[in-house]
Amino acid sequence: MQRITVKPREDWQATAEAHGFRFHSPENDTYWDETACYQFSLKQIENDIEDPTEEIEKLCFEVIDRATNDEAVLHRLGIPEAFWEYVTDSWRNQERNLYGRLDFSYDGKGPAKLLEYNADTPTSLYESSIFQWVWLEEAIERGIVPEASDQFNSIHEALTSAFPEMQIPGTLHFACCKDSDEDEGTIEYLADCARQAGLETRLIYMEDIGIDAQGRFTDLQDTFISDLFKLYPWEWIMAEDFGKHVSKCGIKFIEPGWKAILSNKGLLPLLWEMFEGHPNLLPAYFESDPSSKTLDGTYVRKPLLSREGANIEIYERNTCTMRVGGEYGAEGHIIQALHPLPDFDGNYPMVGSWLVASQPTGICIREDKTLVTADDARFIPHIILD
Amino acid sequence: MKRSRSVKLVAMGTGLLLVAACEESKVDTAMFESISQCKGLGFTEQECISNFESAKKVHINASPKYTSRTDCENDFGAKQCEVAPHRTSTGGSVFMPLMAGYMMGSVLGGGHRSQPLYRSRDDRSNFRTADNRKIGSTIGRTKVAKSATKTPSVKTRTVSRGGFGARARSTGRRSFGG
Repeated sequence: MQRITVKPREDWQATAEAHGFRFHSPENDTYWDETACYQFSLKQIENDIEDPTEEIEKLCFEVIDRATNDEAVLHRLGIPEAFWEYVTDSWRNQERNLYGRLDFSYDGKGPAKLLEYNADTPTSLYESSIFQWVWLEEAIERGIVPEASDQFNSIHEALTSAFPEMQIPGTLHFACCKDSDEDEGTIEYLADCARQAGLETRLIYMEDIGIDAQGRFTDLQDTFISDLFKLYPWEWIMAEDFGKHVSKCGIKFIEPGWKAILSNKGLLPLLWEMFEGHPNLLPAYFESDPSSKTLDGTYVRKPLLSREGANIEIYERNTCTMRVGGEYGAEGHIIQALHPLPDFDGNYPMVGSWLVASQPTGICIREDKTLVTADDARFIPHIILD
Repeated sequence: MKRSRSVKLVAMGTGLLLVAACEESKVDTAMFESISQCKGLGFTEQECISNFESAKKVHINASPKYTSRTDCENDFGAKQCEVAPHRTSTGGSVFMPLMAGYMMGSVLGGGHRSQPLYRSRDDRSNFRTADNRKIGSTIGRTKVAKSATKTPSVKTRTVSRGGFGARARSTGRRSFGG
């Protein structure tokens, strides 16, 4: 694994616009950054990222099996009691999942260590699947990278073949919040994949979803929503006004309710408790657990439900050395052994490993100038080259 | 090779909501205001009646629904609305526009079902589908866009919106995903 400085394509902005990639430089910050790329060997990709991703997904399913048979676990995860049955049923009924992203700390030498699982609402999908791919094709064509370069990225093929298996008889609605180009770009891209797979699609903002007198969700044309892809966290749905209608509204959600177990940082201590010593896991504990003392003052403290790096704190020898602001944390915390991201000339890359229909399909690398990958991290493309 | 052999986008970058209408193929159908009009224009009585009856059934579920007659008449004109056989959760009446005509189903090939047609208050000359798609003013045989012949969606009456989104408003982030 190396970080290589490369020449950006002169016309990449125009190419981005032409491909519908509108959020490449939000608020004039750099997000898409092709002044460098990461190079991996095929062995690193297959043995260190792809195989562990597939294996961790299986371990996660064992955690769900346990949680859906033990209300104490759902309680520890902070899932509201009113949703226990709903979450459990969604798993027992085998409601299908579409995608997710495991985030790893990986330096090319030791085993990749799981930092967290973005199982419910992962973004940076479009740029991983499409724009990173387009970059490689053009970079080879223009001699920016060697002709033999490849990329771990079959995300697009996987998505277009996953949608027909999702068992959606009617229109599939896609929803995200207002005022986020990035989220809107993500659902537009997914809707595009669904259309290619022959589904009918309609976009709606979460804020615009309505409810009829029978407690069914409706769109702006007053049509019932039967299947809904929501780029909106389950814990928010559960906490908001319309959440009370979820179990009876008859909608099939993507991601399904059981993803609330995986997108929760409480997954990390549960994994460690069940598979202690696994090479791709870091020691982790619920903060209230006395065993958490074994981490000896050096750890990362994370709220159960934080996103985009918010409210993460790093402690070294009992001193807080880094703290990211935010609005999460009321629901409790976990602590995880500190395994700092590798340092490549002052850049700290995090490897996101994509799963589509629970199969590993590609990676994305987001790089920050600090140890915590926040929502101002930059997206750096990668190549495979031996 | 560890990457996709090709990637293709059908709508992104071209404006997702604009792509449906252009270059769409048309299909043969016929539109009538009444059974007698239908009979006079070359269909058998049985074809005319069965298509009308099945359009009437679709009408019950697919027509736009209102909780006040005034709101319905604002969209469809005075005396152009009727009481629907539905009730609100509190037992109140539900209103829907009168059928202004019907589109014949697959007697003409094409494989679609017959469906009700409406005329809006501010556009009396054109027929519209229950999904508010304008499909022209022709009485008798005509061609319409294939997507307009699709069975219209079942309508309900939305009683409130905005029950999602409160958390997102309070975060002020660039993305609500991760």
